Amino acid sequence: MALLSIDTISKSYDGVRALHRISLNVDKGTIKGLIGPNGAGKTTLFHLITGLERPTSGTISFQGIDITSMAPHEIALLGVGRTFQTLQVLGNMTVVENILTGMHTRLKGGFLASGLWLPRIHKGEKGALQEAKEILEFLGLLGRWKWPAFQLSFGQQKMLELGRALAMKPKLLLLDEPAAGLTPVEVKKLSAKIGHLRTQDITILIVEHHLGMVMEIADEVGVLHNGELIAEGTPEAVRKDPHVIEAYLQGKRD
Amino acid sequence: MTPWVHIPQLLAAGITIGAIYALVALGFVTIVRASQIINFAQGEFVMLGGVITFFLIKGAGLPYPLAALMAVMAVIIIGFLLHLLVIYPLRKASVLILIMATLGASIVLSNTSALLFGTLPKALPAFSGEHPLVIGGGIRIAPQSLWVLGATFVLFLSLYLLSNRTLLGKAMEASSTDPLGADLTGIARNLMIFFAFGVSAGMGAIAGVLVTPLFYTSYNAGTLLGLKGFIAAVLGGWGKNSGAILGGFALGIVESVSIAFIPSGYKDGVAFVILLLILYFRPKGILGSPYIDSRRW
Amino acid sequence: MVAENKNEFRKRDLLYTGGLWLISLILPDPHLPYRREFIKKRDFFYLGALVLLPLILADPLIYLMALAGIYAILALGLSLFLGYAGQISLGHAAFFGIGAYTTAILTTRYAVPTVGAFWASAFVAAAFAYLIGKPILKLKGYFLALATLGFGEIFLVIVKESRGLTGGVSGIFGIPWFSVAGFAFDTYLKQYYLIWGVLIGLVLFAKNLVRSKTGRSLLAVAASEDAAASVGINVAQVKVRVFVVSAAFAGLAGSLFACVMSTANPGGFSLGLSVLIVMMVIMGGMGNLYGPIFAAIFLTWLTDVLGGYQEYSLPIFGVILILLLIFFPDGVGTRLNARLIYLISYWGRKRRRERVDI
Repeated sequence: MALLSIDTISKSYDGVRALHRISLNVDKGTIKGLIGPNGAGKTTLFHLITGLERPTSGTISFQGIDITSMAPHEIALLGVGRTFQTLQVLGNMTVVENILTGMHTRLKGGFLASGLWLPRIHKGEKGALQEAKEILEFLGLLGRWKWPAFQLSFGQQKMLELGRALAMKPKLLLLDEPAAGLTPVEVKKLSAKIGHLRTQDITILIVEHHLGMVMEIADEVGVLHNGELIAEGTPEAVRKDPHVIEAYLQGKRD
Repeated sequence: MTPWVHIPQLLAAGITIGAIYALVALGFVTIVRASQIINFAQGEFVMLGGVITFFLIKGAGLPYPLAALMAVMAVIIIGFLLHLLVIYPLRKASVLILIMATLGASIVLSNTSALLFGTLPKALPAFSGEHPLVIGGGIRIAPQSLWVLGATFVLFLSLYLLSNRTLLGKAMEASSTDPLGADLTGIARNLMIFFAFGVSAGMGAIAGVLVTPLFYTSYNAGTLLGLKGFIAAVLGGWGKNSGAILGGFALGIVESVSIAFIPSGYKDGVAFVILLLILYFRPKGILGSPYIDSRRW
Repeated sequence: MVAENKNEFRKRDLLYTGGLWLISLILPDPHLPYRREFIKKRDFFYLGALVLLPLILADPLIYLMALAGIYAILALGLSLFLGYAGQISLGHAAFFGIGAYTTAILTTRYAVPTVGAFWASAFVAAAFAYLIGKPILKLKGYFLALATLGFGEIFLVIVKESRGLTGGVSGIFGIPWFSVAGFAFDTYLKQYYLIWGVLIGLVLFAKNLVRSKTGRSLLAVAASEDAAASVGINVAQVKVRVFVVSAAFAGLAGSLFACVMSTANPGGFSLGLSVLIVMMVIMGGMGNLYGPIFAAIFLTWLTDVLGGYQEYSLPIFGVILILLLIFFPDGVGTRLNARLIYLISYWGRKRRRERVDI
């Protein structure tokens, strides 16, 4: 059984068809890439999976559970993490607090307990801080852990957002164009880190335009074009698929 | 004597006050169509229209029509000043700051009016006499009410022509719908907003001159009127001129008729209850709204 | 010659640095919200100043500071909702009023001891916030502001009309002094210590809150609701809960207000007060706990000073409001250090320019 199962999903906005009968699966422990020209519906698909939007028809299941109409925070609780195409770093907090926010579901305590700083809150915070620093070290941001988040460079902020998602200890990680806007050096570093994540048994679904990076790290690739899935398979197979070539060239010619 | 007996008369009163709410609502909508800003000082424009006219008649001895005209022009200038001194400096500020600034302007305007013109309520003579007309089933309508309704229709028509038939009007709308596009096509956004404030102030002042013969006006009447006008705009369909008209009349009628069923002291609360109901069940308003998409608002 | 100048500059710089260090000791800077440590050395200075202040102030000023303390509690609660979670409320005066009336009714009609009424006020205000919050907090921006404003107005209308319950426009009289185990807080001095004592307790509570995962969830909701949801934060629930907590603070403040004023009437809970409290949070700086408290003191003092000008007071107040918003949208303390540095160093730079231009 696949970890994530998308079954004939369609999404229309007031008559504009964004996605049309998309079906794809992501198997546990694999990295699946999702590519396609701009406007193909990739981010929309992510919004549907994470509950920010509802599909017009079709179902989505995660670990066998139907998550089609679940609220975003409930889906996150099940173990689905994501990064955003439009970077959503929490600029009003420090770098380490961004990571700590990612651990929200793993910490206990409500308003009253936190306000009174009960012992379990104190213990939780200490442990969390330790783990957050470890994540920052993995990302190469430990030196700036007390910095306000908005003072990081763009590439560093992208890493921070990745870290926030990792702090959830997700079972499935959705990455929406994590390499967009990064320098070639940063892209290489990112690639290495994503590869490392695979060893920690995290399943990854990644939307990307950096075809080189995707072809290198993905086990399987799906291609979206005009809201339809036009190809799916190993990177080599997809690269040679005539439909895919036509879709990309078509975009370029215009 | 059941409450229902009063309904026809209350309806007539409701239509009159509804026209005023509609005019105030139009003022809100005009600014929103140009800039997505909500001007909490809108009600003060209405109040100043009436108060300044009164002052010019009693204090400077000017004839009624001239005083009214000058008052409207004065309020238009105040509207322009409001934009230049408060809105323009804050053109990049957050929603919260803009709300607070227009609230501050409302405080300044209403209390300066109290300072300059005194706190006593003021009344103006009716345009064409006090004798109420009697129509239908013994319903009395003051002739002034007809003036109010007529003016509402004329202003609504003018706004419609302005937005849809003139270049200026279309430019004003463009600068709100697509600020970047407007900038790129040479529309001076801030100038459009400047005009919107002037138009809005003028309409408010005209409404003030029209309504003062019917209801007294005093320095603090503007705040409540502004709020109700805003509620009317939301009720009818946010951001639409037709919505403002519909909402104004709807609110006026419901509020007026409600007196038959609940103690009159609660009358002012009716508008706010309607506000909460509308915001909860249908924020787009009765006619729907081009401006509200659930993510932004 | 160069060495001479260098020494000259070093002395001056030392002077400036020393002066600035002294100033930074006193002022909270909202632009450093990231140092969310628990207690800083500066806090002991504040505490000492608070304790010793009444010794040097005349009685009417102590009353003013007590009043400022009540508004500070209000501002503190609202700062959690507005400053941290980023939601707008123009109706918090209503919760203040609910607290005041709850205490008034319980103590004058049912002989409930003031301490009990104190907690009951918080509870009742919180309950109203819960009921109102659930539907309203789905709204954002202007519409949320207006819905809260509407709620505030409805509260006033109901209070003025329910003569039986609330005494209508005249209100309720004869509220007893706040008393704990027989000790009555009947002088301005005692009330001052009571109010600021409560405030300090609430500040500690708020500091803890802000440092914890709950505090981070507030900031996350303000920064990006989508991102917050993506890490499992139930955004709607967080908004309602912080609304309830801020209303509870307002309820406590209202209870103290009733006991200090001995009366409760609708005049004290108008839209003007809601606007004033929001100004305190804006002036203090968003994402800041001490800033709004300082702003509360400043604005209470300001309204008192302006009150002396009678009918000029409100227009002037409105103008000051607008000017503050134009020039200090981030809060008064923000970059105040930097601005002071710039100002103070101006003299030094001018001297240096004169020197070098021989």
